[in-house]
Amino acid sequence: MKQRLEQLLASGREAISVSGDETALQDVRVRLLGKKGDLTAIMKGMGQLTAEERPVIGALANRVKEELEALIADRQVVLKGAAVEKRLSSESVDVTLPGRRSRKGSKHPITLATEEISAIFASLGFGVEEGPEIEKDFYNFEALNIPKDHPARDMQDTFYIDDDIVLRTHTSPVQIRTMLKYEPPVRVIAPGTVYRRDSDLTHSPMFHQVEGFLVDRDVTFGDLKGILTTFVNRYFGEGIGVRFRPSFFPFTEPSAEVDMQCVICGGGGCRVCKQSGWLEILGSGMIDPEVFRSVNYDADKYSGFAFGMGIERIAMLKYGVNDLRLFFENDVRFLDQFA
Amino acid sequence: MVVTYNWLKEFVDFDFSPEELSHRLTMAGLEVDAMEKLGEGLESVVVARLISVEKHPEADRLTVCRVDAGDDERQIVCGATNHKAGDYVALAQVGTVLPGEFKIKKSKIRGEVSEGMLCSEKELGLSEESEGIMILPAGLRVGQPVFDALGLADVRYELGLTPNRSDCLSIVGVAREVAAMAGKPLQIPNPVVVESGAPIGNDTSVEILDAEKGPRYMARLIRGVKIGPSPQWLVKRLESVGVRSINNVVDVTNYVMMELGHPLHAFDFNLLRGGKIVVRCPGEMNFTTLDDQEHRLTDSDLAICDAEGPVALAGIMGGQNSEIQPETTDVLLESAYFDPLTVRRTGKRLGIHTESSHRFERGADINMVPVALDRAAALIAELAAGTVSKGAIDAYPKKVAGRQVAITLAKTNAILGLELSLKKVTDLLGSIGLEVSAGKEADTLSVGIPTFRPDLEREIDLIEEVARLNGYDNIPVTMPGGETVDHPVPKHQAVVRRLRDTMVAEGFSEVINYAFISTAAYDRISLDKNDGRRTNVAIRNPLTEEQSVMRTSLIPSLLDNVARNLSYRCLDLSLFELRPVYRPMPQEELPYEPTFLSGAMCGRREPFGWSQGGEPCDFYDLKGVVESLLESLRIGDIRWVNASGEPYLHPGKSCAIFAGDTRLGVLGEVHPVVLENFDIDGPVFVFDLDVEMMIAAAGGGIAFRPISRFPDVYRDSAFLLDDRVAAAEILATIARAQAKMVESVTLFDVYRGKGVPEGKKSVAIRVQYRSSERTLTDDEINKAHARIVREMEKQLDAQLR
Repeated sequence: MKQRLEQLLASGREAISVSGDETALQDVRVRLLGKKGDLTAIMKGMGQLTAEERPVIGALANRVKEELEALIADRQVVLKGAAVEKRLSSESVDVTLPGRRSRKGSKHPITLATEEISAIFASLGFGVEEGPEIEKDFYNFEALNIPKDHPARDMQDTFYIDDDIVLRTHTSPVQIRTMLKYEPPVRVIAPGTVYRRDSDLTHSPMFHQVEGFLVDRDVTFGDLKGILTTFVNRYFGEGIGVRFRPSFFPFTEPSAEVDMQCVICGGGGCRVCKQSGWLEILGSGMIDPEVFRSVNYDADKYSGFAFGMGIERIAMLKYGVNDLRLFFENDVRFLDQFA
Repeated sequence: MVVTYNWLKEFVDFDFSPEELSHRLTMAGLEVDAMEKLGEGLESVVVARLISVEKHPEADRLTVCRVDAGDDERQIVCGATNHKAGDYVALAQVGTVLPGEFKIKKSKIRGEVSEGMLCSEKELGLSEESEGIMILPAGLRVGQPVFDALGLADVRYELGLTPNRSDCLSIVGVAREVAAMAGKPLQIPNPVVVESGAPIGNDTSVEILDAEKGPRYMARLIRGVKIGPSPQWLVKRLESVGVRSINNVVDVTNYVMMELGHPLHAFDFNLLRGGKIVVRCPGEMNFTTLDDQEHRLTDSDLAICDAEGPVALAGIMGGQNSEIQPETTDVLLESAYFDPLTVRRTGKRLGIHTESSHRFERGADINMVPVALDRAAALIAELAAGTVSKGAIDAYPKKVAGRQVAITLAKTNAILGLELSLKKVTDLLGSIGLEVSAGKEADTLSVGIPTFRPDLEREIDLIEEVARLNGYDNIPVTMPGGETVDHPVPKHQAVVRRLRDTMVAEGFSEVINYAFISTAAYDRISLDKNDGRRTNVAIRNPLTEEQSVMRTSLIPSLLDNVARNLSYRCLDLSLFELRPVYRPMPQEELPYEPTFLSGAMCGRREPFGWSQGGEPCDFYDLKGVVESLLESLRIGDIRWVNASGEPYLHPGKSCAIFAGDTRLGVLGEVHPVVLENFDIDGPVFVFDLDVEMMIAAAGGGIAFRPISRFPDVYRDSAFLLDDRVAAAEILATIARAQAKMVESVTLFDVYRGKGVPEGKKSVAIRVQYRSSERTLTDDEINKAHARIVREMEKQLDAQLR
């Protein structure tokens, strides 16, 4: 029996090592170790052994069995690996074929710019307020220290609905509405649509602005410079030069026009900045005491600043859009670029 | 306002370079819109003397000239006819680039060599129009650059003045600012008038009947003038600031207006009926101004009248009946001050805006009246050989008192974020001619405001001047302190943002259209004559008919967008607009501006590509988008009601959308007739949702439901049904069966055609069952599903297939 077991081991080894795939290996396993297999057949002779031989042969049989099982397991791993290898080598995709896409959605660049601007001011503690586009003369002009017959009305050519109602020419009326609604301190921006009776290559009769203002105790012109410098650097890039120069708005005093270093030429002078190296991007100033008076704020107790910017202009500079009309033509070849 | 470097130099001795001056003016609030160096790049245009002028042998209209350009003699072919041998001319030498990128080259014209070009004034940018070449004064140094020789080399600054700075509508006014920057004194002209003959009072008189509107009127009489052209220096000066020369007398009035900022007017004295001036409102009548325009005056218009009627619109424009003529000999010179509002109202109503009215309506300087009068009288006497009658009339019934404004140091520093001393503030304000003295209390100043600064009325106006003169650059950059303000995002904003994000995620591109449209747009979308949306907020002064009413629907513009993009062969479109519409509210102060969300879709469902994009989109693609929108706001109890009632939608392929009883909007395929109106081929699907209604119907926040840890089982069943049974009925029937453990019901197939009888359809549903407590048994599920099948059979006469 010992000899037969050793022969089984040797022939088993051979059979396992030449088995070419997992099915063949399974057959070998059944033939060697199955219920009706060779090992079982040999073990049927155990009954004829002596009591001394039995444990010796028994141990040998176990060893043969264990060894064959181990060999089969090893072979199994090898064969499985080879099978995977074979399958993988026969399969491939053209990775350069474009992926399946769904329709591309996009926010209008004016919306994108508005959201980005709002987010910057939100991080500086400003809430967002809105107001009507068709506005009373009082909110659009009178309360902002622009009485009827004032030359400052010429600065904004106005669409009228009737004598007393206009399409708002700026987002500043939201300033008035907000201040009438809340006591100081207030920190608010007001993005929105505005209208001026002007239409050419660089003027659209409808456009967008973001207004912002802050009223509190001890607010200074320096704070105005701080907030707006921070905004310009966050939106257009760190290190971009910002300058404030005197200007006039009826609802602020002192008033300042805010220029930033030209983002097209870097300040060297180009067509966009009319060779000056600077681009006008914001109007601003300390809120005029007259405005405080019309909203019943105490100008001795509070001070504040306000600013406004044209979103189309900001977006044109940010994205390099060279024609204002593109914003309102709604050509998808334009819109898709902002996806 | 245009100023020039050289002209400013006459009044203040500054030593800024032209570039530095430009920068400083801008930083002082007098923004330089454009700076132009006259003669820059034209140094090679030199004075030349014509030695000989011969006819061109091959061309009748050309001459061949020998010229002396200083260094050598040259031959030039010239097409002008106004030159002769001995004339001094402007020679553009070879290599010169004239305005308009015109490069001068050596050339042969009809066989004759030409080494340069003889220039006209227009070619040198010296005037808008000119005839023939420029003939220079004899005796100039040959070879010298023409601009230097004529003293024309100068720098022009175009200032974009803000409306508050009426004081800078003059060379002297700007020079005052430059003097403050340079720390140098301002030299104001002190005219000396040589008078002779009879006192003015013998010949004329001035009477003011409306001193509110015309507070001061001065006059001088200049006799024996000879009207003629102005001398070159005056012509060139005026041209340098963009004023055309007319004649010596008118030019003087314009020159003094530019120099001192005070508008003047010259009358032909002999045309003044009764030889007198009355300042009054003449009432309703017609009046013809010197530009030959007839105007209708009203009761509130102030006029300068003679004994019979108006001869000038006060501060705006003279009348045709009294203007200076070539044969005028006696001139009545007016220097006056008029009420800004009166000038503005009349000018605005009549649509006249002049250099004069521009200054008066912004506020002229009442104390400049005599200075300007004398300056102009002296110049007219000098340039038009007139004699000035003795004395001047000064009708000035109520003398304007100077204004005192107090400024406190603490307030100044608090507003500006500075720590200036009282001395510094005193110096700054003094530098622009304000009279600063100590105030009543400590650390306050009392500031006398000269009449040339009508804009300085309040302390804050002075604080601005301090900031400006000290330099905005010198204010430190700080961040505001103060309390934290709680300012929650209003619901409307949050919803709009959420809807927009959903639309973008659904693959739609946002458009923004003008809010004003044409009323014809409503015809194009077939709105009924009585449709409420035809009641518009109309613009009283629209730019065009196309932009004359505030839109009540986003649909017309959106269809325009579709049509435009299709015309550019962009065929697969998914667009949306999320903006207000405008509804008149006769009972309210203002119109209502509800936000609407509209979408349009056409073309292929997916982008065209190698494995997709073949199929056209349909109603259900857009319905899916609307479902996403409703879901994003957790709007429940939604009903899709067949029959939108919208005239612009296909009646069979559209619906109204309800949440409970609230109508949110409509969805459907655009009516073929409407598509035709927009020149659109092929189907377009649109929806139109009232965002305000959606907000009203919106559900609450996220409410978590536990998820089951047990497996699901599903059963699929197909039913044969009457074709008219709506999907919603099927789902409602299944719900009514109240089968247990149903997690979801999906309608996954709808089929008509082969194998299904006419008038019937086959509908397949999948019911998913699951318990949160245990694994369900087949028996339980079969029981539950049988209930559903029974209900379907009973209620809808469905046959299980």
